[in-house]
Amino acid sequence: MLSVRDVTFRHGRTTILHGVGFDLNRGDFCGLLGPNGSGKSTLAKILARVYRPECGAVTYDGADVLGMSRREAARLIAYVPQSSEVAFDLSVRDAVLLGRNPHIRVQPAARDWEVVESALDLLRLGDLADRSVASLSGGQAQRVLIARALAQEPRILMLDEPTSALDLRYQIETLQLIQEITASRQIISLIAIHELTHAHFFCNQVVLLDQGRVAAAGAPDAALSAERISDLYGIDVVVRPSGSRVEIFPALFDSGGDTHDNAGR
Amino acid sequence: MTTPSNEVAADATPSRPAPRPSGRPGRRPPRRFKALIVVVSYVLAAALLIWYVPIGTADVTFGDVVRVLRFTVTGAAVPEDFQSTFTIVQGLRLPRILVAAVAGASLSLAGVVMQAILRNPLVSPFTLGVSPAAAFGAALVILTTGGAGNAVLVTAAAFVTATVASVLVLGLAHSKSSGQITATVLLLGIALTQLFEAATSALQFIADEDTLSAIVRWTFGSVNDANWSDFSLIGVVLVASLLVILPNAKHLNAIAFAGEDAARSLGANVTAIRFGLIGVSVLLASVVVSLCGVIGFVGLVGPHIARMIIGADHRYLIPFSVVTGAILLATADTVGRTIISPIVVPVGIVIAVVGAPLFIYLILSRRTGR
Repeated sequence: MLSVRDVTFRHGRTTILHGVGFDLNRGDFCGLLGPNGSGKSTLAKILARVYRPECGAVTYDGADVLGMSRREAARLIAYVPQSSEVAFDLSVRDAVLLGRNPHIRVQPAARDWEVVESALDLLRLGDLADRSVASLSGGQAQRVLIARALAQEPRILMLDEPTSALDLRYQIETLQLIQEITASRQIISLIAIHELTHAHFFCNQVVLLDQGRVAAAGAPDAALSAERISDLYGIDVVVRPSGSRVEIFPALFDSGGDTHDNAGR
Repeated sequence: MTTPSNEVAADATPSRPAPRPSGRPGRRPPRRFKALIVVVSYVLAAALLIWYVPIGTADVTFGDVVRVLRFTVTGAAVPEDFQSTFTIVQGLRLPRILVAAVAGASLSLAGVVMQAILRNPLVSPFTLGVSPAAAFGAALVILTTGGAGNAVLVTAAAFVTATVASVLVLGLAHSKSSGQITATVLLLGIALTQLFEAATSALQFIADEDTLSAIVRWTFGSVNDANWSDFSLIGVVLVASLLVILPNAKHLNAIAFAGEDAARSLGANVTAIRFGLIGVSVLLASVVVSLCGVIGFVGLVGPHIARMIIGADHRYLIPFSVVTGAILLATADTVGRTIISPIVVPVGIVIAVVGAPLFIYLILSRRTGR
């Protein structure tokens, strides 16, 4: 179980996170939602051990995530940043191999290469493996970052808006893939994401952040009400059941006048 | 290099799979050969250095060099008729070539580390202002001790000012550390370079003619006065630095290719590595500059050539940059010795004359991707 307790983070005089806390279990795929500047990326970086919170605790099955060595933490949690600039020429395969860093001493072993190849295959990067990362499209480069995180064989996968550079098809494929891996490997995945409909459909848990505080946490059905979303984003939204799923969209084109009513659950 | 060009940007779809290169994967040497290339390159470099020894001296043959090496290794008594050849080769030529080799290796090694940590292929060990600071320290001592000066004191002063300047840059950058540390380091380095160049110019302005020529001669990097103790000193620092740097190769990969944040999440202690390894680079560059003067371009071009041949994986790039730097500087010095013989052109001038066009070529021939 991943347990985040009372995490507070300041940048200069601005407090970015105020006592954030939530729990996730193995197999949970959690959407980290909230407007721009609500603290999603900061929370992601704290879990990835990029930032150190001012106070609070993060534990995984009782182990202190913030206190363990960087190598240990890197074996536990993989982080997919929003984007990555490449200053040097590097092949896709070597870029994915970076994910093995916490597992290797100096030289990668045969097993490391196997893991890299299977991560490449999972993200359908096999044909691009020898290409330079600099020659890839934005979407391909994003998938390389996800493959790198999977090669890390983490028990917690922290993705910071991994789908924002992807076209619709790859967004869905990526989310399906993460959902599938989360279930099959029984890991915990967290994804910072703006697409509320996608989050509702793919994630079994969501955490809504509002100016550094948890506004709601839990199952998407309960947490993502039209009222709460409208309130949080400052724009009227419609939450409309559509078959077994739910569509969430701005009320711009909705003249039916049922903006808030059908959300009440 | 960050924006993909259009013709390669299209995502490969399953219906239109990108052609898989058959047989040879990629344009770079396959991985299992990279280690072999590194080993072979060290053997070749050693052979090349021995081959350079007799060049430019009419009465020394390659056989003589081998003989000298045998006497040196076995410690056997040198015959009377061979004594003068032995002295030339053992006392002058060998240390000169070896110092050029280890100095080039050190600068190239420092360059590859700086480029990785600052994530910028255009920085060099002198980016932090090491060389103008060293030149200022040397000029100050030459001026105050008058003309010729005390060689050891000049060297020490150059080393101290170079180190102080770099520590200043790193310290200031760290105190203001908020994400943009790389840009801060680069800008502070530029500022300090300007400052020390102005200060050295001021010293030159008030110096008399003899002192002025001594200062100018010092700033031309050269290995003309190289001796065995220079070789040992640079060599020891080089080997010790390699022992510190090589185990961090995978972390350098993470920092260079994934960025500092991602490198942290991949298990690298970025802050410690950044300051530790920049410190090692500064030490390497300061030692070379204080003993040989300012030798530019090797720290920039050496890593570039190495990267073109063996690829960007630092596990191979680091040891290979050592070789390219060594060969580059030893070759430049051999050219400088022989091109308008008997006049010896300082290696710093040769490498700048050869290095600048070479670097321009490297930049212009650099394609996006691949």
